[in-house]
Amino acid sequence: MRVRFSRSSTAPVRVVPVTRGAAIPRPERARVAGFTAAPGTAALLVGRKRRLLLVALDEPEATGALAIARLPHDAHVAIDARLLSPATAASLAAGAMLRGWRFDRLRTRPDPDGTRLERLDVLTPDPDAARAAWDQLRPGVEGALFARDLVAEPSNVLTPQGLVARLARLEREGVQVEVLNAPQLAGEGFGALLAVGGASVHPPCLAILRWPGAANADPAVMVGKGVTFDTGGISIKPGAGMWDMRADMAGAAACVGAMLALAIRRSPVPAVAVLPLAENAIGALSYRPGDVLRTYDGTTVEVVDTDAEGRLILADAIGWSVRNLRPRALVDLATLTGAIVTSLGHDRAGLFGSDDSLRDALIAAGMAVQEPLWPMPLAPSEDLQSDIADLLQCTSGARQPDALLAATFLRHFVADVPWAHLDIAGVEQRERGPWYDADRHALGATGFGVRLLDRWLAGLA
Amino acid sequence: MLDTSFAAAALPDHGALALLLRQNSPHGPLFEAADQRCGGALSRAMAPASFTGKKGQSCVVLGAAEAHPRIVLIGLGPDPAPRVFEEAGASAALALAREETATLIPGGTAADAAHAALGAQLRTYRFDRYRTKEPADDKPRLTTLTILADDPGAARSAHAPLAAARDGVFLARDLASEPPNVLYPAELADRCRALEQLGATVEILDEAALTEAGFGAILAVAQGSARGARVVVMHWKGAEGAPVALIGKGVTFDTGGISIKPAPNMEDMKWDMAGAAAVIGTMHTLAARKARVNAVGIVGLVENMPSGTAMRPGDVIRSLSGQTIEVQNTDAEGRLVLADLLWYAQDRFAPRVSIDLATLTGAIIVALGHHHAGLFSNNDDLATQLLAAGIASGEELWRMPLGEAYDKLIRSDIADMKNIGGRPGGSIIGAQFVQRFVRGPWAHLDIAGMAWATKDSALVPKGATAFGVRLLDQLIAAQFES
Repeated sequence: MRVRFSRSSTAPVRVVPVTRGAAIPRPERARVAGFTAAPGTAALLVGRKRRLLLVALDEPEATGALAIARLPHDAHVAIDARLLSPATAASLAAGAMLRGWRFDRLRTRPDPDGTRLERLDVLTPDPDAARAAWDQLRPGVEGALFARDLVAEPSNVLTPQGLVARLARLEREGVQVEVLNAPQLAGEGFGALLAVGGASVHPPCLAILRWPGAANADPAVMVGKGVTFDTGGISIKPGAGMWDMRADMAGAAACVGAMLALAIRRSPVPAVAVLPLAENAIGALSYRPGDVLRTYDGTTVEVVDTDAEGRLILADAIGWSVRNLRPRALVDLATLTGAIVTSLGHDRAGLFGSDDSLRDALIAAGMAVQEPLWPMPLAPSEDLQSDIADLLQCTSGARQPDALLAATFLRHFVADVPWAHLDIAGVEQRERGPWYDADRHALGATGFGVRLLDRWLAGLA
Repeated sequence: MLDTSFAAAALPDHGALALLLRQNSPHGPLFEAADQRCGGALSRAMAPASFTGKKGQSCVVLGAAEAHPRIVLIGLGPDPAPRVFEEAGASAALALAREETATLIPGGTAADAAHAALGAQLRTYRFDRYRTKEPADDKPRLTTLTILADDPGAARSAHAPLAAARDGVFLARDLASEPPNVLYPAELADRCRALEQLGATVEILDEAALTEAGFGAILAVAQGSARGARVVVMHWKGAEGAPVALIGKGVTFDTGGISIKPAPNMEDMKWDMAGAAAVIGTMHTLAARKARVNAVGIVGLVENMPSGTAMRPGDVIRSLSGQTIEVQNTDAEGRLVLADLLWYAQDRFAPRVSIDLATLTGAIIVALGHHHAGLFSNNDDLATQLLAAGIASGEELWRMPLGEAYDKLIRSDIADMKNIGGRPGGSIIGAQFVQRFVRGPWAHLDIAGMAWATKDSALVPKGATAFGVRLLDQLIAAQFES
């Protein structure tokens, strides 16, 4: 990704955001094209030397996105922000880069639908000021795009070990990466993570990413569900749509992206990301419904459904974090339940937790970066009473309030650490259909959570 | 119904006893007297039963004194709120149900005694109209629970408004429990007439009136049934000014229509009128306690049946508002009923707020389970007031979002809107549909997960809960009474 702020550009297409009511460039041709700068509209004017895209100026990220949505085949674009503030110029760039993302690494011939935006030139009278504004946004954007690439990557490539290999990018930025492999997990008592990952030829592991920061303080801890593929295990999923389960590591990807963002902007806030990575495969070594597992913190859990595996690996990772990291706060992200999709649709993620100020801070951070959250309730612990173990993993039957039961399950492992849980199932990817707004968003992986976490962590400094 | 009577605080000479005891404070003279009569057996029984007076604990002492064959100690915790007295009264009534004579000693204020009485009654509610062969041993024997209070007159006064709430709750529970062959729209409308005896006015719009007025959405839902639709307008004018409008979905049975439901658990669909029942119960309560509020309750009563005359998926209907609706699923019928009711209420009464209650979506059960009803509102003040009333009444709500992202899912290719928008965010989409018929401050309570209890809880036996009656009564008392 290359974003340049300058006074000139060689890009073959130039985007001109137009404020409604202000003078429209090339008024005669714009009139013929029917462009009035009404919200959400754009018009492409083709000149002899280059093309000009007039776009109605609205919220700047949305405007940047709309421009790129109308230029799907351009890998090199200029945006003319010479009449706009440096902050607006930077936000236009953020919107453009996020909308211009496409996962094309595995294509061997050009995508007929378009290309990934590789180069963006932003014309501005004050490149230094715009660059300073961009420096606030770029880490979150880069982190989000990195996370999207991870989410989009198929599961034969992105195994637990494949994901760990990608963390080299973070190490180059100064993030310390430690990985506990399966024998080490066995030695430490990660009974749940080992059970979930046990049937795969790609063994489970726990990745621990540390950003030391500058302050001598307890770290903010992020835990991300990293199921690199989820068949459901013995409680196998229906075939339709199962391919989507390559994205079941989007929680882990969001944490990775946030750590990358922290490192790029040299954040003073100490932070740790803890990623339980496993493939929930099906095989002779699969764990079974009815099994009782012992989690890292010693809790015994009766398994009801092997497809409710996310909460199990999170239980181990949260338990480990609480015991070993002294978190000042712990936020976990997971594509955890279908129930949250039934609850909130594809417009916002579910937020669960017991700490009001953490909840409010996360909601505010989400609002600021347009990754909206909605607070949801927890259930009484009695709802997860097992007949033979400490805790029931979930309940069975139709219409179970599984998102809140999953959160209630996780609460058991957080002790007294301020904690929040983001159920991001339903917002980790965008698919074509009535929920999708092509003018605003790229198709596919969203990187949901990266910019939110980055914003939240920035507020802790 | 279990009767309660309040009597002066003196230990009765015989009969079963229940004593409500606080944690970490002296148990009071009546406990001392009872303990003495038992030769100290009550004090001695506590330790082996691990009874410390903690909230929810109980300890039964049998045969300790000839005059008092059964004595029950119930913990209140250190500093009990009225609701704790309700719950303790409830467990006392259960423990004493097989006695012929029983006395409850709450040991608090007059108001505490009144709440204990209410709890005892709420928890021992039974719907046994259709039992013809119940063995006598299976029935509760206790008919009157005597409750001791320092000032029985004050307790009686404190109990009066609670008794009004109780009557509203029982009415709503009865209505939701009635089978659908007995309780169809016309019958349910007739039952609303009883409110006239309390001073409310009751007006019933029959099919002819609904057709004349243009209730196209309600009539479309009803057209598959042999039982005609009714809309009932109940008006309690306890004050001047713009009324509070309470709107209830009253589908007396919901087969789903042509989009028929699967057979398992379809019998539950008799209580698809629980929203209407809650509105009727609330209106009863307001009238019974002469609430100083202007309130209208409007319920839309229909039966959703598949038949040769039933509406089809694909039909386009014209609602009372004039807006057209493409029906894509005939089992999303509740929102059609609410659409016409809300429009009618606003047109005719210009209410200060409109609150609708409906067993609207299965999705709200997936979202919130059976601990909260879903609250959707276009008005933050009203939402805040409702959330507070929920906590105070123990009928809790959880706010859910609304927004353009959801509204666009009900765009239709050929009409103003369609009545479904897919499974994701299903309860929000339902609310969004209803909102298209709203002008003014409004709240929508999706009570599908709360209207019927599959297990006993502190104040509600298994079965119809009447969820909404105490909530709305509390809301009106706190916010809308002059």
